[in-house]
Amino acid sequence: MGALVDYIQFVLVPQVFNGLTIGVAVILIALGLTIIFGLLDVFNMAHGEFYALGAYLGVTLAGRGVSFWLLLLLVPLLLVPVGILVDRALIQRVFHRKERHMLTMLLTFGLAGVMEDVFKAIYGANIIKPATPLTGGIDFLGNYFPTYRVFLLAVGALTIAGVWLVVNKTSFGAMVRAAAFDRQMAASLGVPVRRVYSATFAFGVALAALAGVLLAPLYSVFPTMGKDFILLAFTAVIVGGFGSVRGVVLGGLLLTQIQSLASLYVSPVWGDPIVFGIMVLVLFVRPQGIFGGKLGHA
Amino acid sequence: MKTRLSTVSLALAGVLSAASAIAAEPIKIGVVTPLTQTYAPIGQQVRWGLELATKEVNAAGGILGRKVELIFEDEEANPAVATQKAEKLFQVTKVDFLTGTVNSGSTLAVGQVAERNDRLIATTVSFSDAITGDKCSPNVFRVNARAGQQSAALAEWLNKEKPGASVFFLGPDYEMGRNTVAAFKAAVESRGMKTVGEIFAPLGNKDYSPFFGQMRAARPTVLYTSVAGNDTARFFTQLEEYGLRKNLLIVGASGTVTSQNMGALGAVAEGYVTGVGYSPEIDLPANKKFVTSFQAMAGAAPDLYGADSYGLIYFYKAAVEKAKSTDTAKVRTAMRGLKWMTPQGEKEMRAGDHQAIQDMYAVRVEGGKFRIVSKVAGTLAVGPDSCTRF
Repeated sequence: MGALVDYIQFVLVPQVFNGLTIGVAVILIALGLTIIFGLLDVFNMAHGEFYALGAYLGVTLAGRGVSFWLLLLLVPLLLVPVGILVDRALIQRVFHRKERHMLTMLLTFGLAGVMEDVFKAIYGANIIKPATPLTGGIDFLGNYFPTYRVFLLAVGALTIAGVWLVVNKTSFGAMVRAAAFDRQMAASLGVPVRRVYSATFAFGVALAALAGVLLAPLYSVFPTMGKDFILLAFTAVIVGGFGSVRGVVLGGLLLTQIQSLASLYVSPVWGDPIVFGIMVLVLFVRPQGIFGGKLGHA
Repeated sequence: MKTRLSTVSLALAGVLSAASAIAAEPIKIGVVTPLTQTYAPIGQQVRWGLELATKEVNAAGGILGRKVELIFEDEEANPAVATQKAEKLFQVTKVDFLTGTVNSGSTLAVGQVAERNDRLIATTVSFSDAITGDKCSPNVFRVNARAGQQSAALAEWLNKEKPGASVFFLGPDYEMGRNTVAAFKAAVESRGMKTVGEIFAPLGNKDYSPFFGQMRAARPTVLYTSVAGNDTARFFTQLEEYGLRKNLLIVGASGTVTSQNMGALGAVAEGYVTGVGYSPEIDLPANKKFVTSFQAMAGAAPDLYGADSYGLIYFYKAAVEKAKSTDTAKVRTAMRGLKWMTPQGEKEMRAGDHQAIQDMYAVRVEGGKFRIVSKVAGTLAVGPDSCTRF
């Protein structure tokens, strides 16, 4: 009995907590991905590199003395013009072609490769480890919860709520949903569709950058970091349903909890095969994902 | 026919009379080492070490009155390239001896080339235990410490520091990770310490916190790890984050904390202990002189690769002088059981497996630098001779 209590208290509880923080990390990255996909129908293969760009920008500015708390606002804002530029210069150029999916995928894939090499050229291949802005932890029921992870959970929840509000409760969100639902109709009703596209892409990129700043103290910064969470984020988007905020949150939490708890019972190496197996299963049974549908319907 | 024979014998006589002139011919040592790509920094140390020792030997009159000449070829840390270059050095350049290989696969492959050409080689860098273990060769010598010596030295130190310790293991899930954990586990268990758990995490693992529950529940006093590169930074950061570095001694493989990630690790690497065969800090007059000369020549401090490569030239010199010849069979006999002086002190070439026995060191990260905490006698760290081929 004592052993069972010990097990629940010292193994299961922290495991669920740790899975939760990783889930929030995945969701933060997947949010931008699903918004860009839901509206623009573009699979942004460079999303991970925008996450890395946010982290590198954070490291650079922190080196100039900018406080971490300011970075949380500043870095996403700085990436807005970058997102608009990428949308105008690359995405919109091929957006109206018939083979849009293939072209935008190849374009953003190429962009990802270029960005990774630029990071390497500027910052070198070695890892950079920013200091954790909140040290220490909270002792609770004999368990230790690092303060920064608790903070991450709170910021993650706020960000998710904020994104949901923007998409569902603001006029910008209404325009986005209208444009996603029927582009021609929205345009004829006076929605500036092109600008809405650029703004949405920039919004997605800014979210990736915010994730970069938030996660850098936990996962460190290096040129290939963009590849780290991107597969899991894509999987969360597919399992949860393309273009759905609710779906991404649920998909992200579900997958990371399964992965985290599975690592207690089978070799951790099986974590990825289990997650991708679930994705394949979902694609078979319910290809649109659990909360599938276009952003306009979500 | 008769005239032809006499021509041959005349020519032979000419060769024989030229033999006395060979005394002035240089001894050629081929060096197949990575001069480009990922391992180039290691090849650079090898080159500096060999060049410094060769300069000193030549200034003091060479070996048996003959100058030493080094001929470099780029190994590219690729066994296929290394064998081609070695073949060329043996057959075209006619080198007397060959060294420099870094990649363990290259050392094993070039060893086979040496057997076919009836020449000797030595590695000054490769760590794989197999080279002087189950894949040993009568033509291959190793003057540096192998992986097993590093972990044995660490286990020996650990046993003194924390006798009966409970050890938890975490390694990356591939060949190197599994080997290093298995070797260290055997080393600590044979010294009466306990294994309380082991985890193999995928290479490039993002977050180690899902393993911390198991680790905490196992209540270890010592954590052994062989993760490397970026994985080290994440693992150590997350250990710190979860307050696990308190009351836990963290030890590991020599590749876990290196000059490449030490800077990024900063405070979270403090206190990390590993086993090594060389440190510029070694307090011996020979080492102090070596470090000063090396620094003056190269403009950089020597590391273990530079030191072991420097020591190799003196190993070859001692063997040739003992054999009074550069003949393969004679030099091999002379090398077996040979004792010679290096910056690390006296080393002994074990006859049974061609593995150098040398003093080892436990080093700890203090203030962002490795400091020697203990010396482990060579005989305690070398481990049994498992070579059965000769």
